[in-house]
Amino acid sequence: MQLQLPPLNDHNLPWMDTIHPIVVHFVIAMAVISVVFDLIAVVARRPNLLEVSFWNLLFATAAIFVAIIFGQVEAGLADPYGGSRLILNLHSTLGWCLAAILSLLTGWRYVLRNRDPQSLPASFLAAGGVLALLVVIQVTLGNKLIWVYGLHTVPVVAAGRAGLI
Amino acid sequence: MAAPALPSQASAPISQLAGWLGANDLPYSLPIHPNLVHFTIGLFVIAIAFDIAGALYPIEKRVFRFLALPITRAGFHDVGWYNLLACAIVSFFTVAAGFFEMLLAVPIPGVTSSIGLQSMETMLWHGVGGVVILLAIIAMTVWRGYQRFVWRRDMGRQVQWLYLLVGLGLFLVLGLHGTLGAELAAEFGVHITADQLLNSGADLQTGLP
Repeated sequence: MQLQLPPLNDHNLPWMDTIHPIVVHFVIAMAVISVVFDLIAVVARRPNLLEVSFWNLLFATAAIFVAIIFGQVEAGLADPYGGSRLILNLHSTLGWCLAAILSLLTGWRYVLRNRDPQSLPASFLAAGGVLALLVVIQVTLGNKLIWVYGLHTVPVVAAGRAGLI
Repeated sequence: MAAPALPSQASAPISQLAGWLGANDLPYSLPIHPNLVHFTIGLFVIAIAFDIAGALYPIEKRVFRFLALPITRAGFHDVGWYNLLACAIVSFFTVAAGFFEMLLAVPIPGVTSSIGLQSMETMLWHGVGGVVILLAIIAMTVWRGYQRFVWRRDMGRQVQWLYLLVGLGLFLVLGLHGTLGAELAAEFGVHITADQLLNSGADLQTGLP
């Protein structure tokens, strides 16, 4: 059985523009803001922000799986060259790792919230710090793929089709 | 395939900064504006989405009970308020970084985008649109604040239906606006090292190993 995608355009995509960078809005912003609100909630003693953090974390976890689905399809059509091959491999691997980490953190947070929605142990704050750091690394890798190597941009796709890279 | 350098390009104002800028026409390798955009769009969309969830609370509460996921209506509206507040704060920086980077933009000449605009039209729409959207976000935040703290402070549903409708309308504006921004990168090659190198006639196999 063969999956039939629409014909590829000048971005080498079956759809108008890359979708993965749009979906990752909701992973990056929600994961980072969740860590920020956790920190404010604990430092400034605003426990109602913990609820805001929880929902943002849950949403980030749901969104990362959608991001990975589009990311894998678009990576498969990206035709990486030179240094971008290694970066794309690292970005894919860290993406799957982040899906696991976000899922574990959300499960842990669900249990914590069921026990006491008004407080958060320092260990979860520390885990949030690690999450934020990994997100920053992942975003930097993704940034290099588009802003340095121009994957899926019209000039790079045209050069690739002409056999220039 | 490289466009020959026009005589006017050498004397273009941006050439004054040539020694300070890299191949991507920025003094650093990765642009800042597109990264702040993640926060502006993500926070705005989720803020409206959770206020919708709060507004429809009587319908959905059984579903969440079935999922063994405890919810409160006030909690949903807290997400709607605090995410929008964070969006308003970060969006000043999004627009500021956007203008700095657009002043340094050198779009690839002779390109027409997939929605039929040339580079200057796209940049003008994206620049003016960015300011209009920032104003809209500030207005929405003030409106949301009045609903939360004054007009509807004792009500279960913290937002007016009109507020949610305007929010959904802004999703469309953000989508169109974001498409213009994406085209500046992926079609006009603005601030993309590989695209700018290709346009200047460089060989990526040696220029970008």
